[in-house]
Amino acid sequence: MTDADPPTDTVLETTPIDVDEQTEAIDPLPLTRVESIGTDIEANVARVIVGHESVIEHVITALLGRGHVLLDDVPGVGKTMLARSIATSVDCTFRRIQFTPDLLPTDVTGVNVFNQQTREFEFQPGPIFGNIVLGDEINRAPPKTQSALLEAMEEEQVTADGETRSLPAPFTVIATQNAIEPNRTYDLPFAELDRFMKKLHLGYPDPEDEAELLGRTVGTHPIDELESVTDRETLVRARETVSRVEVAEPVRAYVTRLAGYTRENAHIGASPRGAIALLRAAQARAVINGRDYVTPDDVQAEAAVVLSHRVKTNDRTRDGQAIVADALEQVPVDG
Amino acid sequence: MSTETNSESTTGTASDQRNARTISLGVGDGATGSRTIGPDVFRILSLGCVLLLIASFVHVLHEVTQAVGGTPSLFALVGGMLLAGTLLARLIRPRTALLAALTVAGLGFAYYLESSGVGVGIVLSQTGALAADIATLATGHPLIRTVEAGLWTLGFAPAPVFLSWYLALRGRYALSVLPGGFALAFLVLTGDADLTVTLLGTLAGLGAVGFGELERRGGSISQADLLAALFALIIVLSLSVSFVPGGDTGPASIGATDAGTLEGTIDSAGERSGFTGQVDLSPEVRFTVESEQPSYWRTGVYDRFTGDEWVRTGQEQPLDGPINEPSGDYETMQQLVTAETEIGVMPVAPQPLTVTDGAAQYAELSAHGQVHPSTTLIEGDSYVVESAVVDPGQDELKRAGTEYPDQIEERYLQQPEDTSDEFAEYTANVTADAETPYEKAAAIETHLRSSKSYSLDVSQPSGNVAEEFLFEMDEGYCIYFATTMTQMLRAEEVPTRYVTGYTSGQQVDDDTHVVRGLDAHAWVEVYFPDHGWVAFEPTPSGERDDVHADQLEDARADDVENVDIEESEDVPVREDDDDEDEQNDRDPTGPDEGEQDDPETNETDPDQGPDTDPDSDTENESNETTDGTSLPDADGDGSSEGDDSDGFSLPVTVSRELLALTTVVLVGLAAGIHRTDGRTRLQRLVGLLWQRPTDDPDDDAARAYRRLERLLGRTHRPRRPGESARSYVTALRTAATDDTGDSLESATDVDPTDPRIEAVLESYEQAVYGGGVNRREATSAVEAVDELVREQVPLVGGAMSGAGQHKASTERGSDDENDGSDESTTAE
Repeated sequence: MTDADPPTDTVLETTPIDVDEQTEAIDPLPLTRVESIGTDIEANVARVIVGHESVIEHVITALLGRGHVLLDDVPGVGKTMLARSIATSVDCTFRRIQFTPDLLPTDVTGVNVFNQQTREFEFQPGPIFGNIVLGDEINRAPPKTQSALLEAMEEEQVTADGETRSLPAPFTVIATQNAIEPNRTYDLPFAELDRFMKKLHLGYPDPEDEAELLGRTVGTHPIDELESVTDRETLVRARETVSRVEVAEPVRAYVTRLAGYTRENAHIGASPRGAIALLRAAQARAVINGRDYVTPDDVQAEAAVVLSHRVKTNDRTRDGQAIVADALEQVPVDG
Repeated sequence: MSTETNSESTTGTASDQRNARTISLGVGDGATGSRTIGPDVFRILSLGCVLLLIASFVHVLHEVTQAVGGTPSLFALVGGMLLAGTLLARLIRPRTALLAALTVAGLGFAYYLESSGVGVGIVLSQTGALAADIATLATGHPLIRTVEAGLWTLGFAPAPVFLSWYLALRGRYALSVLPGGFALAFLVLTGDADLTVTLLGTLAGLGAVGFGELERRGGSISQADLLAALFALIIVLSLSVSFVPGGDTGPASIGATDAGTLEGTIDSAGERSGFTGQVDLSPEVRFTVESEQPSYWRTGVYDRFTGDEWVRTGQEQPLDGPINEPSGDYETMQQLVTAETEIGVMPVAPQPLTVTDGAAQYAELSAHGQVHPSTTLIEGDSYVVESAVVDPGQDELKRAGTEYPDQIEERYLQQPEDTSDEFAEYTANVTADAETPYEKAAAIETHLRSSKSYSLDVSQPSGNVAEEFLFEMDEGYCIYFATTMTQMLRAEEVPTRYVTGYTSGQQVDDDTHVVRGLDAHAWVEVYFPDHGWVAFEPTPSGERDDVHADQLEDARADDVENVDIEESEDVPVREDDDDEDEQNDRDPTGPDEGEQDDPETNETDPDQGPDTDPDSDTENESNETTDGTSLPDADGDGSSEGDDSDGFSLPVTVSRELLALTTVVLVGLAAGIHRTDGRTRLQRLVGLLWQRPTDDPDDDAARAYRRLERLLGRTHRPRRPGESARSYVTALRTAATDDTGDSLESATDVDPTDPRIEAVLESYEQAVYGGGVNRREATSAVEAVDELVREQVPLVGGAMSGAGQHKASTERGSDDENDGSDESTTAE
């Protein structure tokens, strides 16, 4: 930050594109409205995705809690479909990037193109400039390309050819990655992984759900008939509501203890960014549950998906998930 | 002892403590050093306990020697034995010591036998009889009643003292308690050791073993909580279970139920006569006597005075054949005695010669020529007594001389050891002009009658009663007068004995005497060579009659039951011709009994006359004026209490004992709780039952939930640390709904699906994590938990507001419920 401060100011002045400044006061939505938006989206998505209620809920809380989501699973379980249906449910700009081994960073962020008529370079925004960005099979691109996402995801801005441009608000990345074919994929850099609020697994549907799924997809796919239930502005205001949800000291202390536990019991534990992400997710969940304050239950409901992918162990038999499960079991909720 | 070191960190296991100790010893005087105690301290404590045990039984023996003499010898003996034990502790082996002790004991016993004139040979010749004697002692024959009690004491003391101390010094505490404990136990069985001494000795024995163990194994003083708990247990048990066959093996004495009455005091136990302070007089009729002439009716003769009670030495023998007749001249008189209620004595006119008919089969003869019943006589029991009335003239008595038989001198000159020289000097002054024993007796009698006044309302003196009465008290009643006179005469080397019984009672026709409880009396018999025992009356009769007559009148006025039998109903109480008693004068049936109260008819009464004191005058007047109406309370004082003296006097003594007992129970409970780590449990329980309201509603709501959580934790599983408040309740709900199939849960279980629980939970979350709750929400949460607690712990439901009183019961309740919860968790 120390070296970034003076340049940032200058950069901001030269920023050609400026979407709504965050500094402007955003009018938060009433709590109940946000709650109903959550249920609306959930119901909407459920028309396409059979089962996976908890995953859908997690995606929605991430959306409301200003987080990005990484869906990690085998192909064909509906990762992309889930991302698409979420994006469709919110009436906003939806972009999709299909990551391939030969994808270049500029293919994501955009390039300056020389305009013959004006004889000037014009910035051609890449697919990252969207409210909801679907990064499909993100781990097929080499680290260089993936790193193009780092700045966008954390700071909601893109720097191309020395010029920094803000991304539209809201900005949410829903990425998918393949758990199989490790030879043809690149592991996501840990720094990037840390920028995802949640890493979710869909898993195969239950037999009944699958039968239902098959029945629905006969004929027209429901995604084609899906309509939005809310819009961009509402989502921004809902996020504001979520960010104002009270987090009492005991809850903050509890989150700190959880993060501390992972640091003590794993090679790399949850980062402070992870702890912040956990609180934001918990805030969103509190709102979904109709509360204007966070309880330890909200934290517990989010901890597994928020912290697990940030914890790295040297022990092959115990991954981050096991560590977080232990933490939830052993870290006392009350002091 | 261990209260200061009551810190929580000392509740570890024994091994922890041992570690702590070795560390502290290694490091030196660290911070931990103050909390652990070295073996030296425990050694001192155990030795102290052994000494206390020794002291306890020596104290009992000392009480005996105090009465009969030999205290210096006893102390010298005990001191010598302690010294011998100390010197020999390192020199001789235990087997040798045991042998030595047995030898000492044998020698002491032989000395006793020889000195008491029986001879050691009896051990070989009459082993059975000896064993029977020992058995008699051990079944409640008090040591003090043994004729040669002093010798017996000296023979008994050395062996256990030596052995106990020797073994204790060698560190064999458990063994050392054995001889001491045996000695004490024997004295308990004889009935000599009273409760306090027994308790002290027992506790000392326990303490010796306990501290000895702590010394050997090393431990901290806080581990003595087990000892404290055991102490308390012993105290409580020994106070609540009185299996010791004390002196009271004989038939129940008169008025045994009336602890505060004169009779109860005089014949408190079969072979003892105690003292007390303020007494009540029972106006109930005890027995009637048909006799041609009135007499004092004697029920007990006592020879040994311990300073605070009279004891009858020697054993009773079944009465077969005539009793030894007095050596001098006598007239005989016959009486027919009929019990009118249950009585534990056999009143006879002194000196009985034969007892025949009816209840005579129960008669036993004491070593002093008095008959006692072997069982309680019931109403209607009667017997005929023929008595020798020894009534020599003054001149004869003056000439009687002082050639007393040895046996009489041995028995009837005993004084407590601590009798002061002033007592003898004072007596010598009183009898300065008297030359013969008779003159001395008369002088003392006159002196007491004139210098002390009669009152039933005195406080019991401590120490030697005779001295206290003579020097410190201005008034008293018969037992004080009689005791003091006996002791004064003994100081003058005149054989005297203390006798108890009844005055002649109310004469209802020519030869029938009705004797009531308030006629109970004590007087003196003095021995005169060639004549035998002659009665003396040191109590001022006039004053006594007034007080007693008042009581009877009051009782009659109050319609107390059993005051009269048929014949006595119409007979007025007072026969003396007071002008005020007009109704008495009108009664023609009243015979003259002017001299009935004084058996010593040839003695002139210095200050006896018809002059009544102003008190009785006013009372008589009030009797007349308020005749037929209920009397004011002040008048009905002494009489009406005769009936319900139980309810009147008992609470005073019981409450004090109860207080001590309660204290002990509490201390023991505290120690036990400390031992079982129950203090935190108790705290938690109290916390469960009640929460202190605070100013902060958020705090209240949070506490309410924590109580709820503990409540749930008792019947279900406790909350795990990683569980949030809600996930805990949710988990219980899930478990509860899963279980509903086999609804085995007891009715007291808290149903986790109870809507009140949800409400409490919500206000908790709101208070702790949210914006807080208001006062109303907090109160309703607290009330909801109160309700739930009350439902689950019905035992205390009604008494939520009670203080410490219900702690014990609730703890019991919690134990039960804890058991229950254990079962339920294992079932899960």
